[in-house]
Amino acid sequence: MAPFVRSFRGNIHRFLIDVQILQYLIILVGLFNLSLCLYEDQVGKFDWKQNYVGKIKFASFDTVSAAKKIIVATEENVIAALNLKSGQILWRRVLEKGYGGQIRALGGVTDGDLVSVSGGVPAIVRAWDLATGHILHEWPIAEQNHDRIKDVKWHIKDGTLHHILPIYNSAVEVTSYDSKTGDKLKTRRVSAPFITQETECVLAAPYLACLKGDSSLAVLLLVHLFDTHSQPQSVTINTIFGAGAQGPYHLESILGEEPIISISADNNQRKRILLVGEVPVPIQRDIVGDAALYVVSIDNEKILLETTYKNGVTEIVASELLTSKPMPNISTSVTHNSLLSPTIIASVCPRQTKGVTCRHLLASEDHSVALLQHNKLIWAREEALANIVAVEIIELPMSDRDQEIETEFDQKESIDVDSSWDVLSMMFRRIGSQLKQAKTFLQSILSLTPQQSNQRMDLVRDKFGLHKMIVLVTSAGKLYGIETRKGEIIWQLRVRGIRGFSKRSDAIILYVQRGSRHFPYPPQCVLLAEDKQTGEGIVYTFNPITGQPLDGLVKLGYRIKQSMLLHVTTDDFLRGILIFDIRDKVHVYPKGATAIAASIAKNTYIFTADQTTGILSGYSLSYSTSQELISHKVWELLLSPKNQRITHVVSKNPIERVHSQGRVLSDRSVLYKYINPNLVTIVTEGVGHTHKNTLNLYLLDVVSGAMIFSIMHKRVRGPVHVVHSENWIVYSYFNEKSRRTEIASLELYEGKIQSNTTVFSSLTTTKLPIVERQAFIFPAAIESMRETITEKGITSKHIIVALANGGILELPWMMVDPRRPINPEVREEGVIPYMPEIPIHMDAIINYNQSVFRVSGIHTSPSGLESTCLVFVHGLDLFYTRVAPSKTFDVLKEDFDYYLIVIVLAALLISSYITKKLASQKAQKQAWK
Amino acid sequence: MIMYKSAIFLFFIIVSTSNKYVIAENDEDTSTDLYVIEGKVFPWENGASNGWQLMTHVMANGGEHYGFLREDGTFIISNVPSGSYIIEVVNPNCVYEPVRVEINSKGKFRARKVNLIQTSQVIQVPYPLKMRPLTPFRYFQVREQWRVTDFLFNPMVLMMILPLLLIMIIPKIMNDPETRKEMEQLNNFTNYNMPEMSEVITSFLSGGEKQKSKAVKAAKKRQ
Repeated sequence: MAPFVRSFRGNIHRFLIDVQILQYLIILVGLFNLSLCLYEDQVGKFDWKQNYVGKIKFASFDTVSAAKKIIVATEENVIAALNLKSGQILWRRVLEKGYGGQIRALGGVTDGDLVSVSGGVPAIVRAWDLATGHILHEWPIAEQNHDRIKDVKWHIKDGTLHHILPIYNSAVEVTSYDSKTGDKLKTRRVSAPFITQETECVLAAPYLACLKGDSSLAVLLLVHLFDTHSQPQSVTINTIFGAGAQGPYHLESILGEEPIISISADNNQRKRILLVGEVPVPIQRDIVGDAALYVVSIDNEKILLETTYKNGVTEIVASELLTSKPMPNISTSVTHNSLLSPTIIASVCPRQTKGVTCRHLLASEDHSVALLQHNKLIWAREEALANIVAVEIIELPMSDRDQEIETEFDQKESIDVDSSWDVLSMMFRRIGSQLKQAKTFLQSILSLTPQQSNQRMDLVRDKFGLHKMIVLVTSAGKLYGIETRKGEIIWQLRVRGIRGFSKRSDAIILYVQRGSRHFPYPPQCVLLAEDKQTGEGIVYTFNPITGQPLDGLVKLGYRIKQSMLLHVTTDDFLRGILIFDIRDKVHVYPKGATAIAASIAKNTYIFTADQTTGILSGYSLSYSTSQELISHKVWELLLSPKNQRITHVVSKNPIERVHSQGRVLSDRSVLYKYINPNLVTIVTEGVGHTHKNTLNLYLLDVVSGAMIFSIMHKRVRGPVHVVHSENWIVYSYFNEKSRRTEIASLELYEGKIQSNTTVFSSLTTTKLPIVERQAFIFPAAIESMRETITEKGITSKHIIVALANGGILELPWMMVDPRRPINPEVREEGVIPYMPEIPIHMDAIINYNQSVFRVSGIHTSPSGLESTCLVFVHGLDLFYTRVAPSKTFDVLKEDFDYYLIVIVLAALLISSYITKKLASQKAQKQAWK
Repeated sequence: MIMYKSAIFLFFIIVSTSNKYVIAENDEDTSTDLYVIEGKVFPWENGASNGWQLMTHVMANGGEHYGFLREDGTFIISNVPSGSYIIEVVNPNCVYEPVRVEINSKGKFRARKVNLIQTSQVIQVPYPLKMRPLTPFRYFQVREQWRVTDFLFNPMVLMMILPLLLIMIIPKIMNDPETRKEMEQLNNFTNYNMPEMSEVITSFLSGGEKQKSKAVKAAKKRQ
């Protein structure tokens, strides 16, 4: 039996060793198993996706197919079919980005086929299957005339595509193609010698209507496009308006199937209608200038629809076109929140057994689309969300109950000095609040109606801070508040008459002045934009949780050059903003924060970058007095616009925290990170013949103006995407020479000694950092990049990369670490040996098969959990999810086996009792023996 | 119906006439000639659900040019100037290998495998392109199944079972007279071989007595 015992002992020993090995293995796997993927049953649990099409450009009702739908083509180069009943997307085709996919014409829906003309020169004609969205035919238009593509008018009718190009001082050239095969059918020239570059022409097929002259002698000329022998007909303005109309006149083609045009006069005060035909018929009735017109036909009768919008009421007045007889049964008026000076872009009025019911597709000024059916709004789509320019993710406020607890401890300021606070009143308040809690508890038990609350019950902060509010600013000037759990739009707000900063590629700036943590004070966000008319700056403050405007629109009266959110708060926890105008004057908003701003002015610096002049300048506010802030230029840098153009200025995320100050090397020494909060990455692309296809990257300390590092890439072109965080910069570009996308990374280190362990100062640190750099091949095209961010910065960083194929990749920074050793023998902890190509693991695609297209930006935000980062991707689609770069180390796994632990504990407990019993029995037995 | 059709297409090789037609040859400038890249995308054999063509498009150079699929899977990418293009099939469910298509200034086409590391290496593939899916995407981790071995090697279970084993088995072993003897021998052996300080003292102080009591115990057990 001895060998057994020995072997048993040996087994235990081996088992212990095995456990140790297993532990090492687990750690190793944890280090190298970088993929952080979902389980299949988690689909849609943490994420949501919303599809959009963009601002509608062309639309038409498909009444031919079995399933009725609406076909739309949009400014975002999308052709889609919308469900008539619900407004959902039935199918959607995303064309090329930008100019190359711009949709120029859409037609043929009434004939049962869908033909689109898109792109630049030469344009591409595509025929689509109406029902399924497959492509049927595709062919490029042979004509190449780069300068005139804007003047070309397209007409699609009966399977023929007409390409209509006015040739100055001679004729109109009409080229007809078979829209399916692309065969050129006919080329005609209709003489029209009056057309010059200034002539305003609109298409009212089969006529081309042109306005000649500007004064009261102006003449409207109508050219029949398909009859080469006909002479242009002329109609004088006086026959349309009668005497006394004042210019300038403006010509417009009225949407609908009929060839009708409208002419506005008297500075767009009134307009009149002209039926174009063999004998043009002017309608002698004035129509309000701001009415949007549409002509729909019911049983061969032409009905004019005039849409006006006043004080939130949309009114559609129908009248017979020729007789101007009003038709009250078709006229409607609607009041709805999602309509804002809408125009009818498609309308259909089928005669049914009950009578005529009209359906109108309305496109509002704020890009939203709505379907109106017999004075009822069936659905509305918020298409402004397809073009988001600014995002902030904001914490939700506490629940009412938590707020009560908060008010209970409200007087904690008075606690400090000499315990003079009133014990009795505090006790009363506590009892009161507990009574209230008991009351709500009883109410919930007895399922009574809860007391009316001014907030939605579910819009409160959760335990882990995962439920938040996304505040979105769209290019249409519409703001949205979307909660993160389901993606529901909580509030929307329109700011009229604003636009993005034209000098900064239409960016609108959004700052969070006060978060939702300072309970009695409401959270506050501020919007900085330009006035549409004057280009001067405007400030708009609002509550990001409720969507209530706070101070309204404030016109600043000066142009904004730069702005900055102060890091100190006023007494009511409001962070002021510094606004730097084009005359280098510094303003503080709100005015009450001036004193606070002046108190820190000695250490405040501002920098500006001008794309057109290529000048970067730094300003100091140290000359400020307590009443006024004075800026003073301290440095200037010229990146000559002759050689290069500034394309990116990227600073670090201001809320970022760096947890570890250094990196432990294999010899147990520490390499300290160069963490300079004032470091800004500037990327310029070369211009001109000699500098074409070069890329420069500068690292600039914007306080001292010191150039920390610069690098130049040759034979490289954009698109460039830059991520700047902690002590590293990761950027992507396209390598022309090897024709591949590459990701380069830079990492800055101070060295083995840290110059100042407590605080970094740009002015005292003069030593240049050690720069590690490396480039990697990336096997996909990149649309956008952003780093993850967490509350304390303990979690490792990942880079969220939006790929051109619709995937969103979570790329561990470890993969682009510039210290990845080329020599495989050099081993460092947690560093993978260098490999030229970064593999794309499919399970690191965080949006699995929910492809998102045309990504314009990614926003990341920390959650209440250190391990988790919230990711919001916007573009044509919206996608929200959360990622855990170092896995969820601070929460139990979702599939944690609660039952097992309960069973094991219970079994242990029971077995201990049983063994106790058995032992006592045995002892008893032995005692008897 | 579509599945049936695509199945047919999978079995038959389609001879596609490669009409590399040139647009706008009338123009005086020949360098601005535009070409058409064409090919065919095959669906994943079993997973070819309805409307896979709608989910799929073909992308040249990361979105510079797009090609859309006809119902039979063929596509063309029009308006392409001469140059080098990476043609990728974008489908959320299947992996397709990208192909590099090179069009020289004379309009000659060459298709080859994409090799991003050794860019000069040429492995030709037939043109017009035939894009076949390699494998369906696996976006998800497989949840671990409940297995007996997993349960048994769970540290908690081990923690529970090992003491149990020790409790149950060791008295049994101890009961066996031979092993007991051997154990005692072993004990004595170790006692004499490794005279640890504390042990020496304890044996010195109460060694005899302990032995005695043990013997008594053993005697009792034997009864």
